Amino acid sequence: MASPASANMNAVRETMDVLLEISRLLNTGLDMESLSICVRLCEQGINPEALSSVIKELRKASDSLKASENGTSQG
Amino acid sequence: MAALDQKSPNVLLQNLCCKITGKSEADVAHQFQYAVRVIGSNYAPTIERDEFLVSEKIKKELLKQRREADAALFSELHRKLQTQGVLKHRWSILYLLLSLCEDPRKPSNRVCSYGALLTQARDVHSTPFYYARPQSLPLSYPERSATAHNSSMATSGISSMGVFSINGPGPTPPSLLTGPGPQAVGESMRGSRLAWTLPVSSSPSGAAAAPRPPSGPSSSPAPKLPQRQRRDEDGTEIGEAALVRDILYVFQGIDGKFIKMCSPENCYKIDSKVPLCKSLRDTSSRLAELGWLHNKIRKYTDSHSLDRAFGLVGQSFCAALHQELKEYYRLLSVLHAQLQVEDDQGVNMSVDSSLTLRRLLVWTYDPKVRLKTLAALVDYCQDLHLTIETCVQFFVASDPTVKTDRLWHDKYSLRKSMIPAFITMDQARKVLLIGKSINFLHQVCHDRTPPGKIMPASKSTDSPKDASVLFTDLEGAFQSKIDAAYFETSKYLLDVLNKNYQLLEHLQAMRRYVLLGQGDFIRHLMDLLKPELARAATTLYQHNLTGILETAVRATNAQFDSPEILKRLDVRLLEVSPGDTGWDVFSLDYHVEGPIATVFTRECMSHYLRVFNFLWRAKRMEYILTDIWKGQMCNAKLLKSMPELSGVLHQCHVLASEMVHFIHQMQYYITFEVLECSWDELWNKVQQAQDLDHIIAAHDVFLDSIISRCLLDVNNRPLLNQLRAVFDQIIEFQNAQDTLYRSALEELQLRIQFEDKKRQREEMGEWGVTAEQEAEENRRVQEFKDTIPKMCSQLRLLTHFYQGIVQEFLRLLMSDESLQFLSFRLDFNEHYKARDPRLRPSLGATRGRRSANI
Repeated sequence: MASPASANMNAVRETMDVLLEISRLLNTGLDMESLSICVRLCEQGINPEALSSVIKELRKASDSLKASENGTSQG
Repeated sequence: MAALDQKSPNVLLQNLCCKITGKSEADVAHQFQYAVRVIGSNYAPTIERDEFLVSEKIKKELLKQRREADAALFSELHRKLQTQGVLKHRWSILYLLLSLCEDPRKPSNRVCSYGALLTQARDVHSTPFYYARPQSLPLSYPERSATAHNSSMATSGISSMGVFSINGPGPTPPSLLTGPGPQAVGESMRGSRLAWTLPVSSSPSGAAAAPRPPSGPSSSPAPKLPQRQRRDEDGTEIGEAALVRDILYVFQGIDGKFIKMCSPENCYKIDSKVPLCKSLRDTSSRLAELGWLHNKIRKYTDSHSLDRAFGLVGQSFCAALHQELKEYYRLLSVLHAQLQVEDDQGVNMSVDSSLTLRRLLVWTYDPKVRLKTLAALVDYCQDLHLTIETCVQFFVASDPTVKTDRLWHDKYSLRKSMIPAFITMDQARKVLLIGKSINFLHQVCHDRTPPGKIMPASKSTDSPKDASVLFTDLEGAFQSKIDAAYFETSKYLLDVLNKNYQLLEHLQAMRRYVLLGQGDFIRHLMDLLKPELARAATTLYQHNLTGILETAVRATNAQFDSPEILKRLDVRLLEVSPGDTGWDVFSLDYHVEGPIATVFTRECMSHYLRVFNFLWRAKRMEYILTDIWKGQMCNAKLLKSMPELSGVLHQCHVLASEMVHFIHQMQYYITFEVLECSWDELWNKVQQAQDLDHIIAAHDVFLDSIISRCLLDVNNRPLLNQLRAVFDQIIEFQNAQDTLYRSALEELQLRIQFEDKKRQREEMGEWGVTAEQEAEENRRVQEFKDTIPKMCSQLRLLTHFYQGIVQEFLRLLMSDESLQFLSFRLDFNEHYKARDPRLRPSLGATRGRRSANI
């Protein structure tokens, strides 16, 4: 049972590598961990449109949060 | 992905939030809630799930950025992905990556907002739930006032949210964003709101299938629209911009700030307290009508899309309505996007707005017309949930336990109680027939021709326009549709049956073989079988008989029949009772299977069997009598030299001719008056039949009439017994005659021998015959002559017996009106009547039945 599982693991790792490559090509800014979470969500059937808007929102939120923090810390 | 642990989407999302924002779990609670909401509301993707398209888009994007090498690299990677085959939803992740794509040349904001615009437009579009309130959820709240335009993203992006049960992890604060934020944010969080379950199943079907009960407008308090800083600055006069925004919400069925649903009157009313000039008010109310139409249709589809009892076409109607609604939402999302763009660009809307109420009026004219039609349809549907297939499903009860061979008869029967009043029984029957035919074709004939080919007319109910035609002219159109469908289906079914399964050929074959239509074959078969069947029944072997059958087939005209028919012909041995000879148990069988078994059901086949037995027996009698006659002819000459036998022989002849006459008449009656006439009727009906039910009915009538007129039904049991008795007598007679002839011929033989010997000896010069021999001979002759009276009396007994039976038979026949023909034929010269006074019709004869046999 080990070899098919490990073969599977290899295939999974390869796929993730490929996806990371594509993600870097497209400049999505996703790191490996986020990408893997996204992949898992998509595989479970989540709507990618919604997911992408969530990610964008989260980014914006974190950006503005950081900006405000910097601002307040400086101010 | 099998290797990764299956975390639930909730957990995954939370992880994602943590990762992206870089905060701990507790801090991201709000973002998480937001994420949950968005994902939950945009359950179904609106784009095509086409991997090829997405990859093409990616390539185009890369080419736009002048990165051809990268585009080629992407193709390579994509191909690798496809060969690895680990991912199930490649298109999904590819699309995600594409939408997160950022052109390094442009500033990130631009790209973001464009993408966000699209997403929002689609968000609005793809969440057609009928409920409370647009919730605006700005994520970062402390400095809302400074970055007002940020909220624009949040507002319309999540403009529709549902009311659901709590199931997600994490806290669900009632006022998620009542931070110390400015009033703009605080006021926005009114209204009911709950977290909802994330869809964990990976079956993203259309939004209509999402099993979430919509909440009525009454259950939610009327919350206020999230305020915009700008609107607050408008002062007392409500600007057009605000109205436009309101209207856009109303279009979706959500109460706006000023325009609310007034439940008692079931219409949208503009808050009279709001200062609005009249023209604007009028325009607004006209636009609000669109929202009202939308609500109506929405309510209908929501309440019925899940109703399983609604039937296939009802559901397809709902689906069609949903399509239309989607179009409508698309328009709304475009309008919304327009609004957003203007917001983003900070244009002062009250002056330069490209989205005035007038414009809205113009743009929404067309959708309004469509929605009106839909609402009218919905109205009709509230009353009459019917089209042909729905009828079938409503009041045709299907019995799933019935096997395919009984399919036609048992599986579908009308559930009378559920037939709506305006459909006549005839229509209902026709609908039943259509349903049965289609199903029959599918299951039994394995005919996969889609009914669309058969009934091009009736399948048009998918398009709402045709459906409206159907419903507006209900009686006439419905009837004509039913009729058309009925004719088409039945004709098609009959064609299939006749061409593929040769129903008519088999009908004829039955006639020829089982009903003894093929004379030469039957005669030959009987010839061949005679020695076999004379044996006791227990000694018969089926394969012997089958072999004989085949010989007979090959030797006669039957060999020219199609092999399909011949292979179904078979011998069947009935159950053996003690003392049976082969004649009693032999019968022919014709195998039926497949769709023709619907016409030739098992009962039919057993009827055929009985008729066959009867006919076979009658034929055998004929055969016997022919033999007797032959014998008589041959032997008459031979036995002329024995004058003492002449009396006996005469008796034999007389009896034989009586019997011959009787059987002859019976045969004639059976063949011509029963079989031929009924067959003719059947054939005509079959040729003219419009559907399978007709054929089956005609066939049943045929069999019934044959059975009753062949005296095989229950009423005629005594008659049949009499007839059997007659047949038995004939057999007896045959035996007696055989014995007679045998002994006579033997005697003759001996005498001839004696004479020969005498002559021989005389020729040789001896005494012809010695005295002892002579005496011996004389003694023998005397013995023989002594037996003659015995034979005579035997024969007389036989005759008497026979005649008694025939009389009784005729008497019984007299009392039955339907068999008058037979009795007339049998007694045409009133020979019997002369003998038996009882046979003369008496006025008050109440003996026997006067009932008709049929």
